[in-house]
Formats: sequence, C-alpha cells, structure tokens
Amino acid sequence: MASYLVRRIWQMLPTLGGVILLVFFLFKFFGGDPAEVLAGQVADKQQIEAIRSQLGLDQPWWVQLGVFLKQVFSFDFGQSWMTREPVSSIFVSRLPATLTVMVPIIVLEVFLAIPIAMYVAYVRGSLADRAIVAACVVAMSISFLVYIIFGQYVFGFLLGWFPVQGWSDHFLTNLFRYAPLPVMLAVFVSLAPQTRLYRTFFLDEINHDYVRTARAKGLAEPVVMMKHVLRNAMIPILTNVAVQLPSIFVGSFLIEVFFSIPGLGREVFLAVNRSDYPVIQAVTVYLAVLTMLINLGADLLYKLVDPRVELR
Amino acid sequence: MSAVLEPNAGAPAVARSPGVWDAAWLRLKDDPVGMGALAVVLAFLTLILASVLGFAAADWEREKGVPYAYPFFAGDRENVEAQAMQGIAIGKDRRPIDISDVDPLAPKYREWAERAAKLSLIDPPRLATLPAGGDRWGRDVLAKAIKGTQISVLVGVFAALVATLIGTLLGAFSGYFGRRLGDLLEWVYNVFTAVPTILLIFAFAAVFGRGIGTVILILGLTGWTGTYRLVRAEYIKHASREYVRAAHAIGASHASRIFVHILPNVSHVVLVQLSLLVVAFIKAEVILSFLGLGVPIEMVSWGTMLGEAQNELITGKWWQLAAATAFMAMFVTAFSLLTDALRDALDPRLR
Amino acid sequence: MLVRVRDLSVSFRLGREQTAAAVRGVSFDIPRDRAVALVGESGSGKSVSALSIVRLLPGNAIVAPQSSIEYDGRNLLREPVERLRALRGRDFSMVFQEPMSSLNPVFTIGDQIAEVLQRHLRLTRRQALARAAELLDEVGIPEPRARLGAYPHELSGGQQQRVMIAIAIACQPKLLIADEPTTALDVTVQRQILDLLTRLRQSYAMSLLFISHDLALVGEIADEVVVMREGEVRESGPVDRIFTVPQDAYTKALLACRPRLDARPRRLPVIEDFMRGGPTASAPREARPAGGPPLIEAAGLRKAYRLKTGLFARKTIDAVRDVSFRLARGCTLGVVGESGSGKTTLAMLLMRLVDAGGGSVRFGGKDLLALSEREMMAFRRRIQLIFQNPYASLNPRFTVGRILTEPMKIHGIGKDEDERFERAIALLGRVGMPAESIYKYPHEFSGGQRQRIAIARCLTLQPDILICDEAVSALDVSVQATVLNLLLDLQEEFHLTYIFISHDLAVVKYMADEILVMNQGEVVEAGDAEAIYAAPAHPYTKNLLSAIPRGYAARAQAR
Repeated sequence: MASYLVRRIWQMLPTLGGVILLVFFLFKFFGGDPAEVLAGQVADKQQIEAIRSQLGLDQPWWVQLGVFLKQVFSFDFGQSWMTREPVSSIFVSRLPATLTVMVPIIVLEVFLAIPIAMYVAYVRGSLADRAIVAACVVAMSISFLVYIIFGQYVFGFLLGWFPVQGWSDHFLTNLFRYAPLPVMLAVFVSLAPQTRLYRTFFLDEINHDYVRTARAKGLAEPVVMMKHVLRNAMIPILTNVAVQLPSIFVGSFLIEVFFSIPGLGREVFLAVNRSDYPVIQAVTVYLAVLTMLINLGADLLYKLVDPRVELR
Repeated sequence: MSAVLEPNAGAPAVARSPGVWDAAWLRLKDDPVGMGALAVVLAFLTLILASVLGFAAADWEREKGVPYAYPFFAGDRENVEAQAMQGIAIGKDRRPIDISDVDPLAPKYREWAERAAKLSLIDPPRLATLPAGGDRWGRDVLAKAIKGTQISVLVGVFAALVATLIGTLLGAFSGYFGRRLGDLLEWVYNVFTAVPTILLIFAFAAVFGRGIGTVILILGLTGWTGTYRLVRAEYIKHASREYVRAAHAIGASHASRIFVHILPNVSHVVLVQLSLLVVAFIKAEVILSFLGLGVPIEMVSWGTMLGEAQNELITGKWWQLAAATAFMAMFVTAFSLLTDALRDALDPRLR
Repeated sequence: MLVRVRDLSVSFRLGREQTAAAVRGVSFDIPRDRAVALVGESGSGKSVSALSIVRLLPGNAIVAPQSSIEYDGRNLLREPVERLRALRGRDFSMVFQEPMSSLNPVFTIGDQIAEVLQRHLRLTRRQALARAAELLDEVGIPEPRARLGAYPHELSGGQQQRVMIAIAIACQPKLLIADEPTTALDVTVQRQILDLLTRLRQSYAMSLLFISHDLALVGEIADEVVVMREGEVRESGPVDRIFTVPQDAYTKALLACRPRLDARPRRLPVIEDFMRGGPTASAPREARPAGGPPLIEAAGLRKAYRLKTGLFARKTIDAVRDVSFRLARGCTLGVVGESGSGKTTLAMLLMRLVDAGGGSVRFGGKDLLALSEREMMAFRRRIQLIFQNPYASLNPRFTVGRILTEPMKIHGIGKDEDERFERAIALLGRVGMPAESIYKYPHEFSGGQRQRIAIARCLTLQPDILICDEAVSALDVSVQATVLNLLLDLQEEFHLTYIFISHDLAVVKYMADEILVMNQGEVVEAGDAEAIYAAPAHPYTKNLLSAIPRGYAARAQAR
C-alpha cells in the first residue's frame, strides 16, 4: 500500500508540472500585458514601465517561470490586482461559503442517488421507465439558468419562502436561511442527468452472466436486482461521484453569482471579468493539486468497493 | 486457379449488401421517436440556414416595437414602461397627468409637438405588440430567438467538431501506438483533466476574451478529453484484434491501419460522442454568454436573451424568458432524442 | 422418469415482425439417476432446450403452447414463476460454460455458495458457510475454509468451475444441467471436471443433463444420448447403441468426421457425404517423403514479456524459450500445447507481428528477424497466417471484395482493380464460396465460411508457407472437417508448406507430419508425429495424450 501511494504521488509531479506550465504560458503569451491592466485606463508609458519592472516582467521568460514556481510552492501569489488582497487570503476567506453550499449539495446528491438507482432498476422496461426517460430528456434540455431564474422568482420573490439573495457572517444562518434555496435548485437540476446515467449503468450490468446464475439459484427478481446488480452497479456510480467531487469548488460559481454568495467560484468569475490574473492562476494550480489528491482518494476507495481492483 | 470466367464478367450482378450506415438508417426509419426527432432537428436546421442567409430574423436589431411590447395575445394591456420611455408623465392612477402649472416649459410642448408633426418621420411607427413580444428596446423577441438559435447552435456544432477532431486524433495515436507516444498524450490528458473544466474555460476566457471564434476555440480546446478517453480505449481494443494483425500480416502501413481499417469500426462511437458534445456545448455557450464571456455584445444568443430575462422577470415581463427557453428546449430535446435513436440504430441491443 | 420433455418448440423474436425458430418439436426423457447428453453443433437448439426446463430463456423467447415439460406430475411450462423459482437451485441446478463471468465478481465464493443454502434450506449464515466449506472440499478445492473468503478472480478457470458445481450440488438437486461446462477449459482440467461430475452424480444419485458439441466427451460420461441438429432431434437412445450402431445419417456423420487418433485418411468424411449416402471412407494418406532441404529453419527463438508488479519490481514472463525447428517444403509441422504454452506467440514471432527477444528464422536465404520493416515487405507475401477467430479476423466494415483485393493492391499483384477483382472471385471459387460473396459483409457469413474467406485472403499473395493458428478450433466439428479437407487439397495443389498450431491433439495428429510439443514456452518433445503419438517420451506429452477423451469405445473397453 505504501509503495502504491509513493508511486502515485510520484506520478502526480509531471502532471502538476504540466499544469503549472500550461497556466504560465497561457497567461504569458495569450493574456494581455499585465502592466497595462494594472496601470488602469489612464497611464503613461513611464508608469507602465515602472509597473513592468516592479512585477519583474522585463526578465527573460525562464526567470519569470522560476519566479512563478517559487510562488506556487511558497503559497504566495502576490496580491490581487484589483483589491490588493493577498491571493492566499482570498482563497481562505472564500472557501467556507463555497463549502457551506456545496457540501450539502454533494451529500444530498449521493443520498438521493441510491433510491433513484433502485427505483430505476425496479421499473426497468415498464411504461413508467419510458416516461421517466422522456421527462429526463426534456428536463435536461432546459438550461440551468432558467431553473435558477425561475426558482428565484417563484420561491423567493413570489412565495417569499426563501430570501432571493444574500449571505451573512454566521454559519448557521447561512446554512439554514440562505443556503436552502440554492441547494435545492442545484440538487433538483442534477436529478435528471443522474437518473439517466444510473439507468445506463444498471442496464449494462443486467446483461452480465452472473445475473443468469443468480436467477438459476432461484432467487426472487427483487433480490437479484437489489443485491446482485446494485452491488455491481455501485462501482460506476461511485466512480461518477468521485469524478464530480473536484468540481464542487468551482462548479458552484453560477449559484454563487446568482445568489450573491461570497464563495470561491464567484471570486474566480469576478477575477475573469476584471482580468485579475494572479487570482485565476492561483486557483487553477491549487485546484489541480486538489483534484489529483481527490482522485487518489477515490482510487483508494475503489479497493473497498471492487475486489478485482489491484493497487499496483 | 481453375475457375473459368467469361471475358467481361468482372463482377456478378447482385444487389450490394447494406453497410453499417445503410443498415443503421434502415433501423432508424423504423423508430417513430427517432424519425420525429430527426424531423424537428431538420426543421431547426432549415431555420438556421434561413437565418444565416438572411431570409429570417435579418432585422432582429431593429427596434420595431415599443419597449417591452407585449406578445400578440396580450395586446391591449397597458404598457407602463413604454409610456414612461416615451416621455409621458404617469401619475399614481397610471394616467397621464397635466403638469403644465408646475412646469415652465409646459406651454411650449404643444407648439413643439405641432411643429414636429409637420416633419416627416424616418422611422415607421413603433408597433404596440409583437408576435412574441419585445425586449427592453422594442426588438422583436421572435427574431431574436431565431437569430439566437443560429448563433447558439452553430457555436455548439463547430465547437463539438473541433473537440471531436482533437480528441479522435489524439486518442487514435495514443491507443494505437502506446508506449512513449501514449505516455506523452496521457500526460497531456492528465494535465487537462487535473483542472476542473469550468475553471479551465474561465482561464481561457480570461485570456482570450469574448467573441464567437474564441468561444468555439475555448470550448473545443477544453472539451476534447472525453472523446480522447473513449477513442483511446477503442483503439487499444481494436489494435490487438485479429483483423488488424491480419492487416499487418499482409503489409498494410500504420496509417492505413489507423485510418482505413480501425477508424470505420470506431466511427459510430465518435458520432454519438459528437452529438453529446453538441448538446453540452450549446448549454455551455448559453451560460458563458449569459455571464458576458461568450458572444460579443452586438450578437444575440439564447444566453444573452436569458441574461436580459433575469431582470425582466421581476417586473412581470416573461416573454423573452419563455421564447429563449422554448426554442432551446425544443431543439435540445429533439437533438438528444435523435442522439439516443442514432445510438440504438448503430448498435442495436434487443430490449 | 424424472423429466419428460414433449414437443418443445421455442422461437425468438428478433425485430418488429421477425422470429427465428430455435427448437422445433423436440422430445426427450431424463430418467432418474442417469446421465443424459444433448449433443449437437451450434444452432442445434441444445442449450435452448435445456434452459427451457428451468425457464431461464432470454426475454424475447416464445414457447409454443403445445410444448410440455413434465416434472413431478406438472407441466413446468404452465407453472407460475414463483413455483419455478422455488425449484431452481433446489430441484434443478445449472452449471454454465464460462465460470468467470457466471460468478458475481464482488461477492466471495463462500457467500455465493451460502446464498443458495440460505435461500432454499433456510440455514443461518454461519451454518451455510460451514456447509459451503464442506462442499468446497467435496469438489476438490484445497484449503476450503481459507478459500471461503476468496473472490472469483483469484481462482483459476478450473477452480471457478468447481465452485459453480459446488453451488449446483449444494441443495442436493434431482437434476444438474451442465451447459458445455468444460468447453472453455484446458484438456487436462477438462478431464478432472468430467471425473468430478461423474463421481458426484453417482454419490448424490442425481440425474445429469450434459450439453456438449464434443461426441468423444459425451461417449465417456453419458448413459443416454440425444443427437440434435437445427432444432430437431435426429436420434436418441442408450449410449452404446448410438456409438456402435447409429441409425441416423447425421449421427453417423458426427461420429465419423472427427479425426481419429489411429488412422490418417486422405480426406475426412463430411456431413454431406452421409446425408447424400455417398462414399464415406477414403484411402489412407500417402506418407510424405521425409527429409529434403529445409524451406524454413528457426533457431533459438525467444520472447519475454515484462510486467510491472510493484513500485520498482518487474516480473518477466517467458512466453517462448529457445524454440528451434526445421521444415521442408510441402510438409506440415504441427505445434501442440495448452493455453499459455507459447504456441500462438511463436506464430506471431515467425510473422514478425511481434518483436522477438532473440533467435533467428532462416527463410529464402535471409534471417527474417534481422530484416528491416521495408525489407520484410517482400517476405510478407511468402509467409501468411490464418487466425483462430473467424469472427475477428475479417474487418467488419470491409466487403469481402475489399478484404481480398487489399493484399493484392499492397503488393502490386494484378494490373488494375478489375483484374484484382477477377482474381478474388476465382479464389473464392477455389475455396468453395459463391461469387456473390464478393459484395457481402463478413457478418453475413457463418464461422466456417469466414474462415474460408480468410484462407482465400492468404492465397491472394500466393505464399509459400501458411501458418494455421488454431484455424479450426472455433468451428463446429462438421465444419472443421470441411475446412481441414480444403487445407489438404490446397496443400497438394499449390505445394504449400504448413505450420499447424492447435491444442486439439486429434486434429494436429491428422494434419501434421512432424510435431513440436510445447509447454510453458519450451519444446518438450519434437519428432515424427506417428512416433510421438504411439510412444510419447516426455511425461507432459504422456499426460496430454491420456487426457484426450476417447469416446465410448475406450469406456466400453475399460469396463
């Protein structure tokens, strides 16, 4: 096990290196001139040059790459160009809001996934099954935006059950007052694609030979489905959940923007709008690291779920 | 070689057997849902063609109606905003009021109005209602929806083509050759998937800015990874299949094996993947345009329409939201159903 | 009488209107405490008939109303599904062909055996697991208690099949249905499983319904035999009568068209010979002149694969270790061995489809292994390969015409497309395929027909040497005979040299003049075919030869 972990972490390094290179060159060669961005609308050449040398932009690119590398490993990306806040503190201060919304979403999605998967298996092939598939297709053709706009309008504005927007400084208030509407909407929207996906997983499993053996043993159909098929279908289902995990940190951005929640996703979006490169670069690199670690955790989880997996 | 043949009997006169695509088409014809979806998609494509050529919605930018014009079936509702924007003062009971006793310029208004009436107007009078309503500037929502269809769908399709091309080529080389080239391409794949897609899109968007071409490029450059994974797995599977070894045995080159032998056996997977990407990219474009990161300001797409709709809804103007949602829902539903039917036709399993 | 099947007719719904009949009016009996064999080739309906007893047919199966399967005074086909479920696993149990996929990969084998005990005998989990350990012992799994916690993928194919058998006998069924239980296993393992089944049948006094395509196998184990073809019963009766005095033409054909170990006729009889009542025997083959200068000579061939097993550790697997041989023109070299012996790797090495780790292959004055890829092109014409799996060796997206003309195009045979087409049609005729095939796709043909197309493809290049890598192993017995006859005809006509690779000892004996016996990458014995079969020297060869099912004759002799 230890050797497996060492090997995996060793393999992560080239990927991390690649991400750093990608981010660096993307912003260096395609992005606008940072000095001009920082200098603002009205600035003369002298000011721009001064900022240039202050940022070290007049150095050759490999020196700049070295500086960037140093920043990554010392967790110091400098300051946001807009707010002058140190990027690392932006990261830390925005994270709780994101988590307050996204963790309930993930938890609810996972807990709903199991009954959905079971129901889907139960009604397989019937008229209810076809109706569900049709409903899912239509539901998935409507943009997430429409659901949010509509949801905010109906539940917030018209019915007044939840505040349309807002956030506070107290965790519990956030959790029970401001978070419920966005959480509900996000979970609701995810139902249709999850259902379709799990249905596919089930249909794939049902064609396997071991199902025939289970029936040959004289087991009742519900037992065959719920015990034999479900247990095997959990493998791709858990894969799916694990794959989605890394995106919770930024995937929430739409929700945060709509509901004015001061989270990481919204921060990144604002940074994009105002070309605030240090923030975007930092978030990209750190999230890459986080994704790789989460994937490693997911692979370890695999071993618990699928006995055929050999960690090598 | 002992068979005796007539001199000109190059080939017997026999009906040719259906290939994979012909057989799939025959199966698709039997599927009513699939054919219905195909009809809807073709109808939309015709609409888009008309829009591109300028036969439809060419004048979407013209402010044909009054601001926030109602849709045709809600004709004679009071349009408060329109009146407000046309400079008519409105009182508490929603009637124009006479403010001449407090307004020093009041006596002059009549004079100016008479004089203005004598001048010929360049603009035709603004319509009070439009077929699907009007937006804030009185632009025809129906025309916007059609134009938006053109933009959103074409962006989705072209971005999907770019992503599929990249993913297929890289996947083919990675799966077929393996070893060093495979490792290198796997590294590229790992780098691109280490960052959550939305974040990658944001990073690219920050750097490249707005614009139709850049949206297509961004989506294409970030969305190829799924296709890569699939095509690579297929090529790994097929490269060790016996018909490929047989091709090697008779002396077929690598290029021949990759593109002439294996690719036709993989193309149905690629086609389904392409269709899925079209839907995904249309939805992504809508979100990007909504946020102001997608198509430029002077263009309209479903996303920009939704962007305007968000504010309109509070004041009870629902028709732009409805139009954009309806067009999008119809097209995406039909296209998704068509993709499913296509998948079943290409790879039938007895249900 | 335990089970009476009367007038069973099953068809499958294929599409909107199409149906295909699989079983037409089949009747047979299964007596108590007897082994009944259903024998037939693919498409005979034997599996469908057996599955009908426990109603484990796929969803699109349609059973005709007049069919009946009587058990215990009731017609099983009319019983409600719950009653059938009560019988499955308890009165009737099944063993399937592919043990790896028939076992659930995520549950331990202990749990899977215990499950059927808990379901039917109402044992508690603890009791069930204890009984499971006893069962594992009975079926011959070593260290049964420890193995209870093992997962299916940790066991070998033979052991997995034993586990399946343990599940099947757990509730002491009255009838055990075994559907081709040994087809996917090696010959030596096959022998063990057969012995196990026979022993269990006797000790539990249960009936066995054994389904197989292999008559020799059936002759060893069955008491009654039912011969099926294309959904109908051709003949049924006690095993001694079927084997010694068969009445039906098809039965006679099946018995005769397997190559025998004690004779080498010039031509194997085929089904058509019997059905038309024509001559069936043929003269013994003339011995080929031994000696003569070698056409191809291999020396010290080696191939090793390296696998990563740990952080830095690597495991080396020697697929082929120091193999050498010489082959004269016009002769046939047989290569015999079980799975993992390296015989297919050997074929890959000779064709340079895989890079060798060492050794040389002298052919046409050059060492093939030392040539560059471009130089090799000239030699690719002269040495060709027929693959095992006719369903995978033809590109599903190419028409037959394209498959046949492509090699010619690559090597510049024929001056234009029309001439190549003509040659292709001529070759199709030579291998016994109609000219219209040229426009069809591979999926429209049966396994035997596809293999002929594959042979035609090799012949387009007019090679000197043809390597047949398990070329007939995936084919039905009757089709095997026709393809083997074809190969012999072609060898005579075109003076071809064959390297014939197979795990099937009888077929190799029939085709080969000289033999290499391989085990785990090494040649354990080499020499003249007749001599080796008559008096094997190496213990592995002896073991291999003794594991071959001899059929009824041997069993009768042993009594």
